[in-house]
Amino acid sequence: MGTLARVMIHAVTCLFFANRIATIPVARKFLMNVIVAENLTKRYGRHTALRRLNLSVTEGTVFGFLGPNGAGKTTTIRLILALLRPTAGSVALFGKDAWQCGPNLRQELGYLPGDLRLYSWMTLRRCLQIVGQTRGRNLLAAGFELAEALSLEDGVSVRNMSRGMRQKLGLILALVHKPKLLVLDEPTSALDPLMQRWLNRHLRARAADGATVFFSSHTLSEVEELCDRVAIVRAGELVAEESVDTLRQRAGRQVNLRWHEQTQAESIPAPPFLRLDERAGRNWSCMLTGPVSDLIQWAAGKPLDDLIVNPPDLEAVFRNYYEQERDAE
Amino acid sequence: MNLGLIHKSLRETLWVTLLCGTAVMVFEAFLAYIFNTFEWDLAEQWLQSDFFQSIIKSLLGTEFNGQIGLGAIGSIAWVHPVLLALLWAHAITICTRVPAGEIDRGTIDVLLSLPVSRWRIYLCETIVWLTGGLLAIAMALLGCKIGHLFISSAEPPEWGRLLMVSANLFLLYSAVGGLALLISSLSDRRGRSVAVVFAVVLVSFFLNFLTQLWEPARSLSFLGVLHYYRPYIILRDGIWPWRDISVLACATVALWTTGGIIFSRRDVCTV
Repeated sequence: MGTLARVMIHAVTCLFFANRIATIPVARKFLMNVIVAENLTKRYGRHTALRRLNLSVTEGTVFGFLGPNGAGKTTTIRLILALLRPTAGSVALFGKDAWQCGPNLRQELGYLPGDLRLYSWMTLRRCLQIVGQTRGRNLLAAGFELAEALSLEDGVSVRNMSRGMRQKLGLILALVHKPKLLVLDEPTSALDPLMQRWLNRHLRARAADGATVFFSSHTLSEVEELCDRVAIVRAGELVAEESVDTLRQRAGRQVNLRWHEQTQAESIPAPPFLRLDERAGRNWSCMLTGPVSDLIQWAAGKPLDDLIVNPPDLEAVFRNYYEQERDAE
Repeated sequence: MNLGLIHKSLRETLWVTLLCGTAVMVFEAFLAYIFNTFEWDLAEQWLQSDFFQSIIKSLLGTEFNGQIGLGAIGSIAWVHPVLLALLWAHAITICTRVPAGEIDRGTIDVLLSLPVSRWRIYLCETIVWLTGGLLAIAMALLGCKIGHLFISSAEPPEWGRLLMVSANLFLLYSAVGGLALLISSLSDRRGRSVAVVFAVVLVSFFLNFLTQLWEPARSLSFLGVLHYYRPYIILRDGIWPWRDISVLACATVALWTTGGIIFSRRDVCTV
């Protein structure tokens, strides 16, 4: 193997592990916690929007924040941004209290609200000028570079922009100053699939550079593709916080088997690591509950015509969490 | 102070200020011209009637003792409801922008995600508001000057005394703006804030009327903001109204500070 090839393999391996290192528990201990929420509680009168939420987001992580509508996602984001004051508990960003040190911390923070509304008279240039003046640096060049990548033209005022264009402008304002922490509330809503893909790649690259991305989304495939870790809130409480890989392992895989003859499909018993969901003619539809190696070993000695092992179904796990709430109601 | 925020606020309030300033200037020029041209006709025909005497007394907030001179006529231009309405509308429009206006239009989340403290946002709004108010009142003086340019025989106004009136008017404007900032800080809806402040100044205006027309109401006159603005006396005596200025300045500072404290501590987000 040539030296160039070895170097390339090494580089690819390094990049892969740089992205994944934050998900390894031991490695995470050495990285800074960018967001730490401790017993975070928010009440609006009698209604408790968030109840004793404990959360920590490590530097360089892409952190997905999931939950059904009204679960407390936006409230959490607003507490992180110090738009709301916690009723109890605290949020720290970069080790400092978010409420006390808000303005200084926001220098390192980029935010895209879920329900983005911008000043109707602003154009891209004016936005960049004003935000640049507010942040004390010239953001025009970096802003136009992002605008080009997102295919957003200058000269159109917000009032004449489509929803997608506004979303792009909001993203530019959140990303333009290269913040160390990005808080994005459903960032891909109103973006076309091409732009969604660009954004995912961009966020991954930012995370690889050490930035932390905290984002809420309803698109589970996007979370699966992009996130290192995921937290799920339900009715104001954190019900899960795990790495996507752990969730994936727990998710189980759908397995489809086709027997050579129907009699075999009817007479052969399912092994303990396969949960038989449906039997139709020669076909079995099962859920793999054990390791893939056991399945391969078992299948090798069986008269099978076809065997399909589907990827882990994370959506089923999320749905399971969401549905528990509906059942409780 | 933050340049970006000032830039944004100026961009959003420039037209309101220019429109209001121009209207004030045209109106003052018109009044200066009318009062100086038709002064004695007015005095002889209208002001002899008890009804008009009462109206003028109520507007100026003082007794004439039958002497209706150029000063009294001229001072009407500085207490005319149109002038007050224009200036108050300007103060209320600008001072209800943050936070109520920003919450109402949903832009507060973006604004508060910038690396500036709420106090700084409040201060920038205050600078833009007070600068706009100064400009509008300067335009009123300019209007007065323009009105006099068209009258060759008119007695020139005493600019020193007019400056005193302007200072008093500016503090009156500030007090109303301070109240608007306080109400805005307490509210999530701009329309509601405007309605509350408008109701308060309207009550204050009618209280001023009432106290001049109805003896038992006199004891309540100190509650109205116009009790501390008496241009007729300033133009007549040429003495700085220190008591009135102090009361209005204290009220402004108290209202502004309370508004700022509330804004800096409350939950603020799009609703």
